[in-house]
Amino acid sequence: MILKIAFRNIFRQKRRTILTALAMIVGFTLSSIVIGLSDGAYSNVIKMFTGNRIGHIQVHHEGYHDKPSIYKTISNYESIGETIQGNTDVEAWTPRVFAGGLGSVGEKSTAVRVIGVDVARETEATHFDKKVVQGNSLAETASREAVIGRGLAKTLAATLGSKFVVFSQAADGSIANDEYTIVGIAESGDDITDRVTCYLHIEDAQELFVLEGRAHEIVVIVSNINKVGKTTEAIKESLNDSSLEVLPWQVVAKSFYDAMQADKQGDAVARLIIMLIVAIGVLNTVLMSVLERTREYGVLKAVGTKPIQIFWLVLCEVVIITIGSIGIGALLGVLINYVFSIHGLTYAEGLTLGGVEFGTMYAEVNARSLMIPGITVLLSATLVGLFPAIKAARIMPAKAMRTH
Amino acid sequence: MEQIQKTDVIVTESVMKVYDADGIPVNALNGVDLTIQSGEFTAIVGPSGSGKTTFLNIISGLDAPTEGKVWLSGKVLSEMGGNELSDFRRDNIGFIFQAYNLIPVLTVEENVEYIMLLAGVPKTERHDRVVAMLETVGLKDVEDRLPTQLSGGQQQRVAIARAMVSEPAIILADEPTANLDSKTGADLLEMMRRLNDETGMTFIFSTHDPMVMESAKRLITLRDGKVDTDETK
Ligand SMILES: Nc1ncnc2c1ncn2[C@@H]1O[C@H](COP(=O)(O)OP(=O)(O)OP(=O)(O)O)[C@@H](O)[C@H]1O
Ligand SMILES: [Mg+2]
Repeated sequence: MILKIAFRNIFRQKRRTILTALAMIVGFTLSSIVIGLSDGAYSNVIKMFTGNRIGHIQVHHEGYHDKPSIYKTISNYESIGETIQGNTDVEAWTPRVFAGGLGSVGEKSTAVRVIGVDVARETEATHFDKKVVQGNSLAETASREAVIGRGLAKTLAATLGSKFVVFSQAADGSIANDEYTIVGIAESGDDITDRVTCYLHIEDAQELFVLEGRAHEIVVIVSNINKVGKTTEAIKESLNDSSLEVLPWQVVAKSFYDAMQADKQGDAVARLIIMLIVAIGVLNTVLMSVLERTREYGVLKAVGTKPIQIFWLVLCEVVIITIGSIGIGALLGVLINYVFSIHGLTYAEGLTLGGVEFGTMYAEVNARSLMIPGITVLLSATLVGLFPAIKAARIMPAKAMRTH
Repeated sequence: MEQIQKTDVIVTESVMKVYDADGIPVNALNGVDLTIQSGEFTAIVGPSGSGKTTFLNIISGLDAPTEGKVWLSGKVLSEMGGNELSDFRRDNIGFIFQAYNLIPVLTVEENVEYIMLLAGVPKTERHDRVVAMLETVGLKDVEDRLPTQLSGGQQQRVAIARAMVSEPAIILADEPTANLDSKTGADLLEMMRRLNDETGMTFIFSTHDPMVMESAKRLITLRDGKVDTDETK
């Protein structure tokens, strides 16, 4: 009966119900979009950062991640790569050779970081060809070509066609020294990297450093980044080799990951503000409707309705409106987030997050963007409804019935 | 006829009620000592503003006296908790308000049914009683209407039906015939009198209606918040 009265009250005062519901729907939808967009942005940044650079999972010789060294190599990387590829979630893999040295063009020289890449695999896995913004990518067979970072090209005053000499120490202790033709200039999206990096064909690099048949790193790209932990475990199991370390991107780029997590926490403030607005809106409308109906509550009480029943009546009304609003808000939230996930929200000025720049934000439709606003709206509305409910329950019938 | 044992159902002792009308104290009741026994059929009369409504509100716990004590069936009213008082009202008191005070979102039928619902009366019994009651007060054709779709007299009758349907021990009626034509008023009065005779239900009216005063067994006159005369016929 209390429920019946609650429902009828809701439908009788349509204007007030709509007003209350509107405050909740707007609050829910807004925070749903905020979460959807920011989650989308983070996923996007993570996808770009991992997919285009470090990969989702990396395999090294044990201890390489903590203390990289030219001597810590993976020797039979081709067969290891095949084994990795055998895991269901693995999309691509690519081997890399890393070494430091001195790079020079003509009179100018500077410290460089040499990355030897399997051009075909690197292109498939991390879109290496797209990073070359000037000139051409490396040839798929070793042909003494080099692609150097934009910043490095500037430091060395190098242009396409310049001769690029690398001078270093090889893995066997001998002197490594060779000359390459610069065929392309690369931009990885990170200026600091571009100031020191030069790319060689993996076989050229292996020859230079006397690392034939060996690599320092295998980068793995998976099809579902959310299952990266599971896939890491699966790869570890399939390799079954304690001399290898298999690390997910969260470990490989720990500081980036931590920064992302910290940034996400920051969003809670925005959410709190939205919820506060909702709470005030709800308090206002619910309080008004209770005050307006003081007389009715007085009557209910006068004929024998218990204070606790009146308390429930008011709370029921609030909760019913809240659940309805959450339903509508969820629909809107999913819809808008879906639209944004396809078309994106474009900023006039680019936005930089975690060192990755991007101009269009794509939303994500996920459970979080419904759960968090849902719980907050329900909680704040119920909390806010308590006050008028208690007020109504405490009404003194005679006094209440005199008011109109 | 079986003799119903008389007990004191309502006792008031120097009940005072001071209202605060925008800072000006209004002495609505000025020390009322009354004892009402079960089975009474009593009319409280007096000029407008003499405190009739205030008195009825206080003896039913709808309002608290500023000073003095009220016993309801032997219990001190001010010592009863909110839930206890609500239950007591639900089970023992039927209140007919001067301003009807129906529940606007419920239909005539539901308004009458409401208290029995609260009290947990089984569905079929509830239904039978509501039908019988609506017949008695002549509202059978309007049972599905909302209070706002009724005339004043009809609303008054719904209020009467609601108060009496659960056959409470005490009926408090604040000017129950004020908005009724004399025929309907007489019929209802007749019915209440019959209930009083047959079941010993206690009735306390406040009224200006000579017809009610006529049929009352006891007539209490209030003046300026005090008992002026108190005569039992
Ligand atoms: N809530 C209130 N606040 C202030 N004054 C009040 C309040 N209720 C009643 N009064 C005053 O108390 C006095 C008694 O009022 P009450 O309603 O009991 O009179 P009544 O005998 O029922 O009158 P009527 O015959 O007009 O119904 C009046 O002077 C009235 O103005
Ligand atoms: Mg009155």
